[in-house]
Amino acid sequence: MSEINQRVVCNGVDFQSIQNTNFKTMRISVHFMLPIDKNHISANAVLPALLCRASKQYPDYTKLSQRLSELYGASLNAEVQKLGDTQLLSISTVGLADQFTLNGESVSKELAELLCSIIFDPPFENGAFREEDFNQEVRQTIELIDSEFNDKRIYAKHRCEEIMCDKEPYGIPRFGSKEAVRALKPNDLKEAWSYLIAHARIRIMALGNCNPDLVFQGFQTAFEKVDRSQVVTCSSDIITDVKEIKDVSEPMEVAQSKLVMGFRTQIAAPQKEITAAKLMTAMFGGTPHSKLFLNVREKMSLCYYCAARYNSSKGIMTVESGVETQNIEAAKNEILKQLEEMKQGHFTEEELQSAKLSVCNSYRTIGDYLGSTESWYISQIFMPDMQTPEQAAKEISKVTREEIISAAQKVTLDTIYRLVGTEEE
Amino acid sequence: MSLQTITGKRVGDTYYKLEHPSGLTVFIYPKENSNSTYAVFGTKYGSVDNQFRRSDEDTVHTVPEGIAHFLEHKLFESEDGDAFARYSKTGASANAYTSFDMTCYLFSSTENVEASLEILLDFVQSPYFTEQTVQKEQGIIGQEIRMYDDDPQWRVMFNLLGALYHTHPVKIDIAGTVESISHITPELLYQCYHTFYDLHNMALCVAGNIDKETVLRLVDRYCKPAEPFAVDRVFEEEPRSIVKNKVTQALSVATPLFQFGFKEEAGKNRKTVKELAAVELLLEILASEGSPLFRELQQSNLINESSFSYEFFEGPGYASVIFAGESKNPDKVAQSIVKEVNRLRNEGIPKEDFERAKKAIYGRNVAALNSPETIANCIIALSFSNRELFEYIDALAEITLEEVTASLQTHMLEKYAALSVVEPIIPMEESKQ
Repeated sequence: MSEINQRVVCNGVDFQSIQNTNFKTMRISVHFMLPIDKNHISANAVLPALLCRASKQYPDYTKLSQRLSELYGASLNAEVQKLGDTQLLSISTVGLADQFTLNGESVSKELAELLCSIIFDPPFENGAFREEDFNQEVRQTIELIDSEFNDKRIYAKHRCEEIMCDKEPYGIPRFGSKEAVRALKPNDLKEAWSYLIAHARIRIMALGNCNPDLVFQGFQTAFEKVDRSQVVTCSSDIITDVKEIKDVSEPMEVAQSKLVMGFRTQIAAPQKEITAAKLMTAMFGGTPHSKLFLNVREKMSLCYYCAARYNSSKGIMTVESGVETQNIEAAKNEILKQLEEMKQGHFTEEELQSAKLSVCNSYRTIGDYLGSTESWYISQIFMPDMQTPEQAAKEISKVTREEIISAAQKVTLDTIYRLVGTEEE
Repeated sequence: MSLQTITGKRVGDTYYKLEHPSGLTVFIYPKENSNSTYAVFGTKYGSVDNQFRRSDEDTVHTVPEGIAHFLEHKLFESEDGDAFARYSKTGASANAYTSFDMTCYLFSSTENVEASLEILLDFVQSPYFTEQTVQKEQGIIGQEIRMYDDDPQWRVMFNLLGALYHTHPVKIDIAGTVESISHITPELLYQCYHTFYDLHNMALCVAGNIDKETVLRLVDRYCKPAEPFAVDRVFEEEPRSIVKNKVTQALSVATPLFQFGFKEEAGKNRKTVKELAAVELLLEILASEGSPLFRELQQSNLINESSFSYEFFEGPGYASVIFAGESKNPDKVAQSIVKEVNRLRNEGIPKEDFERAKKAIYGRNVAALNSPETIANCIIALSFSNRELFEYIDALAEITLEEVTASLQTHMLEKYAALSVVEPIIPMEESKQ
């Protein structure tokens, strides 16, 4: 993989690029980070998609979409995520490298300009976002919230995290509540936009087959007009002790019940123990040779999926499974039993080596995908030292058995969430 | 045994094809700057192959629904342990999938690629089924089926296929039902295995950081000449007409979902790259985000950007154009689509819309060649339908407005359309959000 290049655009805005002509595309993205705040989360969350609707030059959704089609099917995407207690708002564009266009057009230059223009120079009317665009985005955000309910696996995981983190910013859904979205006014979005440009922590990335210097210069010029003297600091609450296990069951007319268990790991970024916690999670429930897969699925035949996921920004681990209602308790007990095995160090050298190989393999694959590369570096934004996937793979290889046991022993059950199916078989 | 070199002039890539003496078709797409290698070993055997007759037998066999998918799960187990345990020594990320017309086993790996490829070639050719392991899998797949029972996207699709097709097994769920898989036995699995996992019916594609010599050496070692025989896939006569024009199911969803499909002429042979390219372009012109149809639907608050999609869904003996999404009023969406198709037919496709759509589709298809995963899966799927990747990209670059216009005359006819809707169990405003 080509070298990563890092520069500073201005206060709180940095720029990372990896130029690699082996790709047939390039990907340019801008990521805004703000502390999650119940009063502003919804306005912020609607903003990226609203900015992607139109530009001064292509002033409505149809015209902008047509222009992207002409640019060889380029895409412009808005994304809203949580990185621990931080709200992460991203706008990215992906397009064909200039050398593959049929008539020698330059896609990359135009996309870089377009990205600057939609972010810094939205097509305001009378000093505000146009009502029509605003209304569209509010409606579509509400529909997006509804669609997350449609996928029961995602819904159950979100419910578990909401219950578990109800006193932390992370417990707020990524778009806030439906009511909060519905109550937004166009002016709220204008205020959110002004605040975002001036005060968010910002990362710009240019990856793949394009000239990053042009992208950098474009953003440098754009930021010259912004007062960036005050930038927010982002941090996450890491809860280390659990006073009482929360146990919540909710009935629903579905065929399959879902069990989601939330654990506190006491280990989170920027601690260096997150490497051991990641590996421990892989051994416990991250691969087809993990304890959860081999026991809850293969041995007991209770489910199709039973997987553990570690969130290093927040210091939590979740275990998810889909089971018959009468098997929920059996699955829960076996999950806890397997966790106990990890804590007691009841795992073989082979299990440890397999997990290492598997995690290293996934890290080393990252560089083949621009989207994965972007996520990799964004996830480290609050770490003091940046690691390439290769450096991280080397760190994983060095983790000892004792470090795994120590990470496992810190894991504490916090919340059990059951979505209980009430449909007859 | 001669190695065929296939070069895409427009994209600057080259790959190799070999008809191996064992009967296996091998594709190797080297990408020397890639970190990973992605290999897929597949058989032209999917959920629709429920009735068949081997050329060396007279009987037509009918097997339980979902057996191809069940077989995919069971093949991971051999007499001396399972394939995942073997892959755990190489670090490869392995998986498999069963679709309507193929079953594929795959891995992605950055180290020990050769050892991983050996495992792949070996386990797919080493069936081992017992009463006990079959029974265990019935529990696991039972839960996979139950998960899909709750998946509104999955339900809305199969409900549509049920409304479009009278007899064609494309309307049957790929995994079958909890009931149908209860009839699966080791004997039936062996019978399907020995019929469809014949190397003449299979292909291997390896893309990424690997050289062709390594792949060929391993294929020589692991793939022994197989007895060639033909399999007749038996399909009952499928009428041109549809079954019904609307189907609705209530599920725990917060917002209604729809699929609106047009049943298309399928015929005996699969569509050519040119025919495919014409329909793909037609759909882009008709319904992409810059189209008048999309604009109208969006401005009327009938669809949203994150869920609206369209595809040309075709395979052995079936073809349909399908529009999908979430909408508060699916009937209105369907009406608008029909109206717009008719308008385009009457008024003709504007040249600038055609040119723009062509660039967009061409660009997206070239962009897909970044990924060893996409490349390998595309090549194997195309090979099972007698198509070739670069010919397809060339067809997209060379297609004419006349060809797309001709395609518009024969596709998306109103009398062959059906609407499938999944709606909330309780009225939306009362549901818990």
